[in-house]
Amino acid sequence: MTAASTAASPEVASREVSLELIGLSRRFGSVVALDGLTFSVPPGEVFGFLGPNGAGKTTAMRAIFGVVALEAGQVRWQGQPVTEQVRRRFGYMPEERGLYPSMQILEQLEYLGRLHDMMATAARGAARHWIERLGLAGRESAKLEALSHGNQQRVQLAAALMHDPELLVLDEPFAGLDPGGVDDMTEILAERARAGVTVLFSSHQLDLVEHICEAVAIIHRGRVVAQGAVSDLERGDRPRLAVRVAGDQAGGWARQLDPGVASVEQVNSGLVLLALAPGADSQKVLDAARAAGAVEHFSFASRRLSEVFRDVTGEEA
Amino acid sequence: MNKKWIRLTAIVAEREIRQRGRSRAFAVSTIVLLLVVAAGVAIPAILAHNAKPQRVGIVGAPVAAMTEVVREAGRITGTSVTVVRQPSLAAGEAALRSGDLDVMLVSDSEVVVKQVSVTGSSGSDGGLPTAIADVAGLSKLLGHLPPGAAARGVSLPVRGLSPPSASLSRRLTGLFTVVLVWVLISAYGSQIAMGVGEEKQNRIVEVILASVRPIQLLVGKVTGIGVLALAQAALMVAVFLGLGAAVGSSLAHGAAPGIVIVGAVFLVLGYAFYCTAFAAAGSLVSRQSDVGTVILPVQIPLIVAYALSYTVIYANSASLFYKVLGFFPPTAPVAMPVLYAAGDVPAWQAAVSAVLVAVGTVWMARTAATIYGRSILRTGSRVRLRQVLARGAAA
Repeated sequence: MTAASTAASPEVASREVSLELIGLSRRFGSVVALDGLTFSVPPGEVFGFLGPNGAGKTTAMRAIFGVVALEAGQVRWQGQPVTEQVRRRFGYMPEERGLYPSMQILEQLEYLGRLHDMMATAARGAARHWIERLGLAGRESAKLEALSHGNQQRVQLAAALMHDPELLVLDEPFAGLDPGGVDDMTEILAERARAGVTVLFSSHQLDLVEHICEAVAIIHRGRVVAQGAVSDLERGDRPRLAVRVAGDQAGGWARQLDPGVASVEQVNSGLVLLALAPGADSQKVLDAARAAGAVEHFSFASRRLSEVFRDVTGEEA
Repeated sequence: MNKKWIRLTAIVAEREIRQRGRSRAFAVSTIVLLLVVAAGVAIPAILAHNAKPQRVGIVGAPVAAMTEVVREAGRITGTSVTVVRQPSLAAGEAALRSGDLDVMLVSDSEVVVKQVSVTGSSGSDGGLPTAIADVAGLSKLLGHLPPGAAARGVSLPVRGLSPPSASLSRRLTGLFTVVLVWVLISAYGSQIAMGVGEEKQNRIVEVILASVRPIQLLVGKVTGIGVLALAQAALMVAVFLGLGAAVGSSLAHGAAPGIVIVGAVFLVLGYAFYCTAFAAAGSLVSRQSDVGTVILPVQIPLIVAYALSYTVIYANSASLFYKVLGFFPPTAPVAMPVLYAAGDVPAWQAAVSAVLVAVGTVWMARTAATIYGRSILRTGSRVRLRQVLARGAAA
């Protein structure tokens, strides 16, 4: 797991790590929300932040913005502790969406931009840009409450993007979006990452995460239980093979395999799923299959992110 | 408190002013309040011109000359008068006490009324006693006088049967001031609490507090709303004084500007004292609809001072209890303008009270900012005061 080893060391060069959460702890009464949560996010990447409900995702995101106090731990940006000043260069889309319902959207965005140190004219320009970019042109003077739910979500995203943040933190940005909204959101997140912005978002939609993110951290009960590149997690620590031999519906050929080479995980109407032993050569499996009959299918099998999630948390996403 | 701190706070204040200033509610409330003020000034002035005939008693002689004096005084002041001969001074005084007579002229020696006002000529009685005293004095000077009478002045002395008190106009100005202070503090205080409740309910606080501190949001909000409150108050005072001068209302004469100034000082102090308390109250609830219940305790001192102010306005002197309220910071913003207007406290005591309120404001602002900062991001059930205050700095 590539990123894991570098996460906790503060002296890591700022080039490779932009955001670091180090040993964050917080409890609410008897509920432990964060239990020494530690992970880091590389710059210019779309990073997924996963975990079952109540795992501490929202608390961790709030901690980045200082709106929840920590009992222990530190949030760092480019190797330095996050200050108020630095935080105003971050963009935030909280889980519980919040804007003024009776304020016109252009004014509202301008106001939020100015609170992030933008000058009034720049803020107005950025507000117009994002309103147009998000397909809300012509609604500038509409009050937020007059917009549809999906469009309110777009305004909320615009609010986070207004000041061209270096770090974007989005709590469940896809929740409640229609397919068109999901596409727009995906596109914008990818575009921001290409522009060098670090993007951290939480989600329950693992298919989406698989598709969008380069790397993820999965947390459970306030700590990280898995993290790394999506492809690494899906490959798992032991490579798996999917093999089908013509005519052998029960996969009997595979039972003969030396456990030092591979072991059967499951057989699904002739398709045998094998876990390769550490250091074993996959060609030995192919040889054994060939010896048993015509090989119809032979490939490395990867786990879905949802399987990884279930394995490490014991829960469905 | 550096420049950036102030800039962000000012941006918050500016939003409040813009959003509220152009709302229909603000326009309507301004118009209604101005109409109330205008009516309050104009109606007594109009009524004064149609005042009921004044019954003027005369005692002694010569009857014809004295009747002439009273008629002349009535003509000068635009009051219709009825002259009633009284058999004796004692009978006349009894009639004054019972209200059967309004004024009594005693031969060429004095004018007697039930009560003399502190400010003299600006009574709501239209100045009839003074006019009688003037005219009678003048005719005495010109006519059949004992030598040396002129040395006592051109006017006859005006004597009151009971001790002097502040004039009714002064009291009415006081009432106007206290209503203004009470209405503005309560109305704008509730707006602050509702605004805080709204931000909490909509969860926009989380977005805003990601870039500004709670104290900046608090200060910006109360400053912005305070600017609007002051603007409205200034308009009302301007209309009161301007219209009062234009229609010649006795409400705007003499001591009134002083009372209005004291009222304005206590309005500012009262707003400062209460604004943070209202914000702290608003921060305790998660839904805007619950704001009403939490701001009631904040309003109680104001309600008490306001309700009791009528007893001071219409009584001859304030009770000791009410005087204490005049120096107690939570009640002083309403109580002190009343006491001052009624002539129950001198100016220096009003100044002492103002200093006490200012000191109380500092304490209140600190406490309220702590409560606000600790509860603004807590959602769910209502935050209990004890919880918030008991915990240490690690909120």
